Amino acid sequence: MIALEFPPINEILRWKDLFPTFNKIALIAVAAALIGTLIFLLAGSKDAKVAPKGIRNFAESIVEFIENGIIMQTMGREGLAWTPFLLSLFSFIYLCNVPGIIPFLQMPATARMALPLFLSLLVWVVFIVTGFKHQGLGYIKSSLFPPGVPKALYILVTPIEFISTFLVRPFSLTVRLFANMLAGHILLVTFGLLSEALFQAKGNPALIPVGVLPLFMLIFLTGFEVLVAFLQAYIFTILTAVYIGGAAHPEH
Amino acid sequence: MLTAVVIRSGEALRVHFVTSESDSGEHEMNPADCAFEPETYPPEGEAFTVEFCGTGPSPIIPEMKELAWGAGSFIVFALLMRFFLFPRLKKGMDSRYTSIREGHENADATRSSARSEVAQYEAALVAAKAEASKVIDAARATLEGERQTAITAANARIATEREAAMSAADAARTAGRSQVESAVVDVVNSAVEVATGKRPDGSAVSRAVAEAMSAGVR
Amino acid sequence: MEAFIQVAAAAGLTGDEAKAASAAGSAGFAYGLAAIGPGIGIGYLVGKSVEAMARQPEAAGMVRTTMFLGIAFTEALALIGFVVFILIGL
Repeated sequence: MIALEFPPINEILRWKDLFPTFNKIALIAVAAALIGTLIFLLAGSKDAKVAPKGIRNFAESIVEFIENGIIMQTMGREGLAWTPFLLSLFSFIYLCNVPGIIPFLQMPATARMALPLFLSLLVWVVFIVTGFKHQGLGYIKSSLFPPGVPKALYILVTPIEFISTFLVRPFSLTVRLFANMLAGHILLVTFGLLSEALFQAKGNPALIPVGVLPLFMLIFLTGFEVLVAFLQAYIFTILTAVYIGGAAHPEH
Repeated sequence: MLTAVVIRSGEALRVHFVTSESDSGEHEMNPADCAFEPETYPPEGEAFTVEFCGTGPSPIIPEMKELAWGAGSFIVFALLMRFFLFPRLKKGMDSRYTSIREGHENADATRSSARSEVAQYEAALVAAKAEASKVIDAARATLEGERQTAITAANARIATEREAAMSAADAARTAGRSQVESAVVDVVNSAVEVATGKRPDGSAVSRAVAEAMSAGVR
Repeated sequence: MEAFIQVAAAAGLTGDEAKAASAAGSAGFAYGLAAIGPGIGIGYLVGKSVEAMARQPEAAGMVRTTMFLGIAFTEALALIGFVVFILIGL
């Protein structure tokens, strides 16, 4: 028998403070903001007239992805003014997700509740403010009393619409990002622990080579987590675009 | 967060839990379980506070410090992006796109002007060719006429010369014939005179000679 | 939950230990049950999207965007189950 003891969840999620009120999650968040700023700063300082290459090409392809892949698909041309917000949202979430697979860092900052909660509350505030700005009080009417429904059904529809628009949206945004990244992190920890326990199996030496199997799984999952990090940033951003677009133009 | 007051005694640590819902008795802890480094221990017998890594609130509860740092860094990043980073990048992209578009339009204009120039050149070429062939035809026609007149003149000259030569030859021949005739008459007269001793009738001989010559020798 | 407590009691665990053991067992069940519906849903969704993309490759971009949106909404249910798993199991 080998002894495989899964550590308490806080041990794989929390570190002691680097200095008071500043821990690893805060470090990753600050580093994400700094790296994002640095990338776009360097990209902006390159000569714009020649064909873009290197970091400028990279930054411009992110901008084109946000504009063509997210905004044009969900909000249309008038949504292009939201590009800076969605661009910073996407870059920040991706740069917070991706430390989950960087060796020695190995912790997605979004696997803690704080960042997803803040970001989705921000998005929530932004889309409600956008709704009131574009439609005035008609926003309440268009979001709670959808047209084309028989009057008697509003007793049923209005509470559902209220819950789904104003309560479930921020909750599901938070939980989607947080739980995806936490699940990925726990998966990586599990396979890492499993292969470590098999490599160090003292009682039965035949188990030691078997430890290669969870190691391969770990490597595969690490590659998978790169995809998940991108996908979650993309989904968060595209849902934000959908919510903002829906608040700005109810017919969409 | 689980906080404990730790007193070190030899290799073992005596731990008093400060904020724990479970019993706050003394525990033996393994220093390797936690993330604080053993070299930061205070001297033996002195109490100090540590924060244990494996404990803490439920992972669902957001932590204030993470919230504050994350929110602060995102807001700073978003504001920088909105007011500085993105406009600069976008301005460069837009200026490049417009310059590319202008380049395309310039290229189109240049191409169409070049096309019209080519068409003009081809039209001029056709005109020049037509003129050249006209000139060549005219020259050929003049040349032909001149040749024709030269040939006729030469033919006429040849014909007259031939006429003259033929009449001269005829005159010479007739002259020769009459001489031959008279010579033959003389010879016949002499021969008849020698044979018969008497001179024949000159007119009959000459008539017979003329008949014989015109009938036989020709 | 009651069944788990009985099993734990039969195994010789008492009080808090039995409660923790049964919570761990129920958490596994909670997540397993929560994953069934979204699993079927995402499978159906992606299958239909692939069909649509194969039938009309020129609409692939739009179908892909909508597919990701649908996956995001469907997956949220499974993830709520995962959060419940963490809440009651740990």
